[in-house]
Amino acid sequence: MTTLIEAPPSDADGLLPTKKKKSGGGLGQYLLIRFLLIFPTIFILVTMVFFLMRITGDPITAALGGRLPPDQLQERIHAAGYDRPLPVQYFEYLGQLVTGNFGTTLSDNRKVTEMLTTYGSATLELTINALIVALLVGIPFGMIAAHRRDHLPDAVLRVFAILCYATPVFFAGMLLKLTFAVWLGWLPVAGRAKTSSELALTGLQAPTGIYWLDALRSGNTAALGDVMAHAVLPALALGLLTAGIFLRLVRTNVIGTLGRDYIEAGRSRGVSEFRLVTKHAYKPALIPIITVMGLQIAVMLGGAVLTETTFEWKGLGFQLANYLTARDFVAVQGIVVLLAVIVAVTNFIVDIVAALIDPRVRY
Amino acid sequence: MAKNQRALRSAIALAGVSAFALTACTGPSGGGGTSTGGAGGGTITYGTTDKVVTLDPAGSYDAGSFMVMNQIYPFLMNSKPGSADAVPDIAESASFTTPTEYTVKLKPGLKFANGHALTSSDVKFSIDRVVKIADPNGPAALLSNLKSVAAKDDSTVVFTLKAGNDQVFPGVLAANSGPIVDEEVFPADKVLSDDEIVKGKPFAGPYTIESYKKNELVSLKANPDYQGLLGKPANDGATIKYYADSNNLKLDVQQGNIDVAGRSLTATDAADLEKDSKVKVHKGPGGELRYIVFNFDTMPFGAKTADADAKKALAVRQAMADIVDREAIATQVYKGTYLPAYSVVPDGFNGAIQPLKEMYGDGNGKPSLDKAKKALADAGVTGTVNIKLQYNPDHYGKSSGDEYAMIKEQLEKSGLFKVDLQSTEWVTYSKARTADAYPVYQLGWFPDYSDADNYLTPFFVPGNFLKNHYENSAVTELVTKQLTTVDKAEREKVLGEAQTAVAKDLSTLPLLQGAQLMVAGADVKGVDQTLDASFKTRLGVISK
Repeated sequence: MTTLIEAPPSDADGLLPTKKKKSGGGLGQYLLIRFLLIFPTIFILVTMVFFLMRITGDPITAALGGRLPPDQLQERIHAAGYDRPLPVQYFEYLGQLVTGNFGTTLSDNRKVTEMLTTYGSATLELTINALIVALLVGIPFGMIAAHRRDHLPDAVLRVFAILCYATPVFFAGMLLKLTFAVWLGWLPVAGRAKTSSELALTGLQAPTGIYWLDALRSGNTAALGDVMAHAVLPALALGLLTAGIFLRLVRTNVIGTLGRDYIEAGRSRGVSEFRLVTKHAYKPALIPIITVMGLQIAVMLGGAVLTETTFEWKGLGFQLANYLTARDFVAVQGIVVLLAVIVAVTNFIVDIVAALIDPRVRY
Repeated sequence: MAKNQRALRSAIALAGVSAFALTACTGPSGGGGTSTGGAGGGTITYGTTDKVVTLDPAGSYDAGSFMVMNQIYPFLMNSKPGSADAVPDIAESASFTTPTEYTVKLKPGLKFANGHALTSSDVKFSIDRVVKIADPNGPAALLSNLKSVAAKDDSTVVFTLKAGNDQVFPGVLAANSGPIVDEEVFPADKVLSDDEIVKGKPFAGPYTIESYKKNELVSLKANPDYQGLLGKPANDGATIKYYADSNNLKLDVQQGNIDVAGRSLTATDAADLEKDSKVKVHKGPGGELRYIVFNFDTMPFGAKTADADAKKALAVRQAMADIVDREAIATQVYKGTYLPAYSVVPDGFNGAIQPLKEMYGDGNGKPSLDKAKKALADAGVTGTVNIKLQYNPDHYGKSSGDEYAMIKEQLEKSGLFKVDLQSTEWVTYSKARTADAYPVYQLGWFPDYSDADNYLTPFFVPGNFLKNHYENSAVTELVTKQLTTVDKAEREKVLGEAQTAVAKDLSTLPLLQGAQLMVAGADVKGVDQTLDASFKTRLGVISK
């Protein structure tokens, strides 16, 4: 995932040479193809999930297999339609999807669309928090590493970056939880907020479901502090995964930019190395961050399943793990479709950004 | 433009710094959640790993949903804290007026939290819809003996039963099929969503729901209009907090973030928490029974094996009953969270006796190798008996593997058995066991209603759910007789006879019965009151 896209430098302080306009032909066609690719991607994923879920058995046997005589169990399976041929069930499901009907979950009887909305906001909150961590850690550390290239701070930060993206996210989560919540007791063990804060926030009119935003909107500073305290460890666990990639990316791009003619020109004019890094070289290095950030959304959604489970962060990832255990076909399919749409759309946006930034990718 | 960008950057930086400064200023969550310390005893927070399937009684048949229902819905019959006997709750009286008619008279002036009157019409509606909807996840099967329900007048309901003098029926009305709902809120033919239920306020139990986030947080407030058996709650309200991981549940009760941790802490958690002075571990009788099933066709010397011999097959079962050391499993594997079981009916139920304690082993519940050897020798079994023993690793808790490893060790240590221990994932397991795939295998049971019958009828009459080819007409007669014996003492006698008869045949080998477990803060009162054989968590008795 460490796609290092070197962006054209910005025209900061007039150091850049005059740009040559490149040809931008084929952008419309390129984007159209990329857009159309969204649909087969989602279709393949939906199909795979549909059939794979059914390999593991039906949810009625999973729930009641030990309690009911076989004939009664079979009756219930028949009543629920799980004994019908798979193709029949499959095309029926596709028909429902086309009409926007995601169905009702089997294990807890809730509308899938309502479930996606409720838990989607929790996952969105976690992703935003993790992105903030990734940016706050990755960019400055990347710049320090580039500035102190081949010195001790650079070596330390490079090892740190490798550790960040090589450590499994669940392991990082458990380690953080054990250290800061269980042993030191500095931060909460799990959940998104204390009971009192949750009650206060869920009692609001039209809450967004993003707790810190709801706390800010209602001016409840106590709840805001509590929510932020609960957010630290999950955000770190998930954010450091991407921070390592950002760090390497910023370092590489800043170093690359520092070798450009206009930077050399700045040096020759007596501009300090620190100023060159922080003022002139970091801006071009940030553009690929935006592109990679899009790609990292998919990585983060994957990591969210494990992070949310570790910290009982009740978002889509947490629910997905639970519904998988319960063999709740309907719920799992709904969540996977939503995640597929998010990843496909994000990648499409990334493609647009990449095409706008660097016309070469259109060909 | 440049100024705008700078302003935006400053805002983002400020927001980031503020957020983390705020975080740094916030200590660990603690201090007891939502207690308000009001006149009625404040509020209590209860944590659990159970889940709610649905709040609609017609659509769920699980511990998590029923726990909430017990707080918000009224029942015709219920049990007082400390007892499992079904007695009138919102009913004034309830009794058999003829062998097939069970008549219930409601208390006057009952109403739901939404202001609607609660009448016999609501009772008829509630029971009828459970049967009519017959949801795959619902409790309709519990009402299999019900023929019809009639509302004679506003306060009188008559249940007509198919079989007369059904002594279990009052217990069924106190179980999952018994919550009474508002006919003006619930549809007659389909399950209502939780959000619509909460909005409609059809509550007439000890509590009403104030706010509801499914399987996250439920906030309950004491219902001033409740007139039932359980009385006014000892607290102003309660919050139920849901966990996925019992480790987090354990840590939160230790740190005081919740007042009580209910189901389902592990044995290791309980043993660990017993050393913590900030919390207290409370134990009560449990309804869970863990046992081994023998397939009478395929077990060693079973009816369809090459060397079929009923006498030898019985001797194998007896020898296993003589050798297995339940106490060792209960203490070493389950750290005392399970107790040895010496009957197919767990200790604590009315009519429960412990016939296996005297009949097998040393006569005091301990194993006896000599007795096992004698049982096999008397039947002419020579050489080592090979047993294929199946257990399930993903349905009866994480310790099943340890439990069955110990059983294998105990049996093989005797020198009489060679055990081929195998495990299978639940979905396959539950189907394969009824297809005669496993000669000897593990099962477990949670009661549907608090009555000894629930451990007899499902297991030992023809067509039972075990499908292990066991039939004994004398046992069938005793099981049927206890079900319709009106006199309580006489019924307990018959229940005892049925347990003894079953213990002689050993169609199943009871091993362990579960203990109910709750962990509460040292200042929390009333927890022990709700840990009885009704297996109902009554938040109304808990306070601090």
